[in-house]
Amino acid sequence: MELRYYIIRRFLILIPTLFGLVLLTFILLRAIPTSDLIASFISQKATAQERVIEKQQAIAYLGLNQPLPVQFLYYLNDIIHGNLGVMYTSFYTGPVMGGIERFLPYTLELSIATVILSILIAIPLGTYIGARPNSPSDAIGRIFSLGVYAMPIFWLALLAQIIFGKNIGIFGSYGLPISGEGYPTTTKVPWIVNNVSEPTHMLFVDALLHGNLTIAYSAFIHLILPVGVLTLSILAGLLRFIRAGMVDTANQEFVKTARAKGVPEKLVLRRHVRKNALLPSVTVIGLLMAGLLGGVVVIEYVFQLRGMGRLTLATITGLNIQFYGVAGTVLFFGIILMITNLIVDVVYAFLDPRIRY
Amino acid sequence: MITQEENVKEISASKPYIVVKDLVTQFFTSKGIVKALDKVSFEIYPGEIYGLVGESGCGKSVTSTSIMDLIPDPPGRIMGGEIYIDSFNILSDLRSLAKIRIKSETEVKIKRSKRANKRHNEILSQIRGNKISMIFQEPFLALNPTMRIGDQIMESILLHNILSISDGIIKRHNLNSNDLDKFMKNLNGENDHLKRKKIINNFVSEFGIQEFEESLNSLIENSTDDSYVKTEIINMVQENKKNIDMKLISEIREYYYYKNQLFQLTLEEIQAERTGETAIRNQKHEQIKALRRYINNKYFVLRMKLRLAEKHYMAPFRKEARRRAIELLSLVNIAGPEIVVDSYPHELSGGMQQRAMIAMALASNPKMLIADEPTTALDVTTQAQILEIIKDLNELIGMGVLFITHDLAVIAEMCDRVGVMYAGNLVEETSTTEIFNDPKHPYTVGLMNSVPRADRKREKEIRLDTIPGTVPNLITPPSGCRFHPRCKFAMDICSLKKPKLVEISPQHKVACFLYSDESEVD
Repeated sequence: MELRYYIIRRFLILIPTLFGLVLLTFILLRAIPTSDLIASFISQKATAQERVIEKQQAIAYLGLNQPLPVQFLYYLNDIIHGNLGVMYTSFYTGPVMGGIERFLPYTLELSIATVILSILIAIPLGTYIGARPNSPSDAIGRIFSLGVYAMPIFWLALLAQIIFGKNIGIFGSYGLPISGEGYPTTTKVPWIVNNVSEPTHMLFVDALLHGNLTIAYSAFIHLILPVGVLTLSILAGLLRFIRAGMVDTANQEFVKTARAKGVPEKLVLRRHVRKNALLPSVTVIGLLMAGLLGGVVVIEYVFQLRGMGRLTLATITGLNIQFYGVAGTVLFFGIILMITNLIVDVVYAFLDPRIRY
Repeated sequence: MITQEENVKEISASKPYIVVKDLVTQFFTSKGIVKALDKVSFEIYPGEIYGLVGESGCGKSVTSTSIMDLIPDPPGRIMGGEIYIDSFNILSDLRSLAKIRIKSETEVKIKRSKRANKRHNEILSQIRGNKISMIFQEPFLALNPTMRIGDQIMESILLHNILSISDGIIKRHNLNSNDLDKFMKNLNGENDHLKRKKIINNFVSEFGIQEFEESLNSLIENSTDDSYVKTEIINMVQENKKNIDMKLISEIREYYYYKNQLFQLTLEEIQAERTGETAIRNQKHEQIKALRRYINNKYFVLRMKLRLAEKHYMAPFRKEARRRAIELLSLVNIAGPEIVVDSYPHELSGGMQQRAMIAMALASNPKMLIADEPTTALDVTTQAQILEIIKDLNELIGMGVLFITHDLAVIAEMCDRVGVMYAGNLVEETSTTEIFNDPKHPYTVGLMNSVPRADRKREKEIRLDTIPGTVPNLITPPSGCRFHPRCKFAMDICSLKKPKLVEISPQHKVACFLYSDESEVD
């Protein structure tokens, strides 16, 4: 079957998956005691009678007096209209959707930079190491991978701050910034409103779009440490995987065929081994993306960056747990993961002709 | 179609195309050294089908893989011997490849020389697939799953045939009225319809314009005006010339020509190294260095271009190669080669895959094909077809075949001569008729008695014999003759000395003390 049809079908499968995801977040919302939801609508100063009225009003407002399926339909309707509820935290107060709109781009910037960087490093390095199993370079690669893999990401981040950080690291005042707190506001430009840059909300991209190299540079050096740490954590697993794939593929019969045809050793690696070795790694990149989203939450906290991770954290660390915030961010993380997996599947099908069934 | 009239089958007169002499291949495992091949010697002549037969684990496949020098390292290594392919000993530089220190069976230190291995691989990549090709047992594993069949065949063509392809393109480019006059004269001098067709066929293949054969045929049938035909041909060729950068073609041709020279010089260098002529060796070494520097400087831009956008710059070559790939696919009886050329291996059946493998092996007209149990993984009807194709190719283009199988019926069907292997030794070698009618070695006799035969009397052969015992463990092979523990006729000497493969009657060699007292000296 042609690749085109495969992609179309894969897109169609997205719809039921999305539905399942929404259902799950709905169950998540309804699994908590409703009294917690209602509590935020009741004023502490009111009399007992007023409280009863307030409670009933809240129940009616939240739709809790309706049967569950009807509630789900209301919820679905709200999501389609982009209404994910409201959250009140010291980090952000307002509609959940607005918060996601504002903070998601930054996280995307971080994740995309990480994925691109780690792929750019992992493929050549993995090929190099995988072509020489049990050599000294392989040993170094193994030590590096296992070492980094064993380190918790926050520890890695702290280590990076201590070594490379501005004023505290080995480079002194020439070090890299260790905190992203408030950095977009350092310069007053018309396209930064309320700490948010326009139009993409990704500061580095926007600065380049507006041709403001000073801000672009500032955004860039603020990205180096977090992206570097995230890349390291992904690279460790990916490198091992590509190496294993290379060793595995090099023992396949068709590699022997290629040599029997007289293909020079370099081309055997480049043309026959590498492509087949990368196939399983593509799937792994999809899985690592899930780990990356978890890592982003920690990294944004350690580096004080204003992204989705911080928003997610804020919903559960305040005085009251912000249930709508939790449901909204979970939904969005789920959507990101689904899209990543879609991309991975399409790339896989593109690389491996056997997959288009 | 491939027509190589100079290659017509001629077995006896010529000198052998492959000579294997005292080949020793071992595998270093954690349990000990597996002595997989112990001084195997045989010769294969151009145009003959030589069969290697024996139980599993007797070293048939190791022999074929050793001839291609494709023994996986680690754990295996060719430890000694000579393998001549078309008079060049591919193991000439065996000593320099690695320093091996064997402390004990399980403790072996191998120190590989990077430089020598690199040179060795460079040379072998020019020999493999060019002078000798190989097809494997499981075609579905032996084809790259992510490459189109056509691309895999084209890869082989483009590796070894750049010079001839570019010559073809240049010749077509330079097609002039003299050539046309000659062609028209030949054509007009002939009245027989078939012969006229043949002349046209020769003409189009000489100038690489096969795609115009049909239109040229009808044009000539329907027109009596010579000059009109000529201008039409010129137009056709002109159409083909478009988009071809002749400067690039000749540059690529030159580049590959120099690379070929480099290969020849390296061969000479190795030869001199082997004979110990240091002066010649040094001289060749200097020449190689100078030539390499020259190529690197002169063709730097070209190499970068080819590295970055090979598909674009090699397009005219790829077009020719693709046409040849389709030709090869139809040569191995694949229906619809134009479609198969663009399919992936998983879209073909097992038989088709094996045919595609054969087509790939034929890509640069090798004089020898190694078929390592090519039909074992296929069903019976497909087996027959594949065998027929191999047999046809052998007769049609005079390609020699080293055929490896454990199936005696296939041997009877296919081979001219047969070698019987047991536990890493060649124990008997003779013609196919002789081996079935008059087997000498006790192992061969046992092998023959273990298969049902239509030509034996029923009462006598009512039950099949088996050979008692099993194939020995080759880490600790039996002393002397490796077959003696299982042999009915074993004598005292059998466990002490190893019998030598000697000719006991014309064209019949046996390694057994029942027929000769000669033993191998070590």
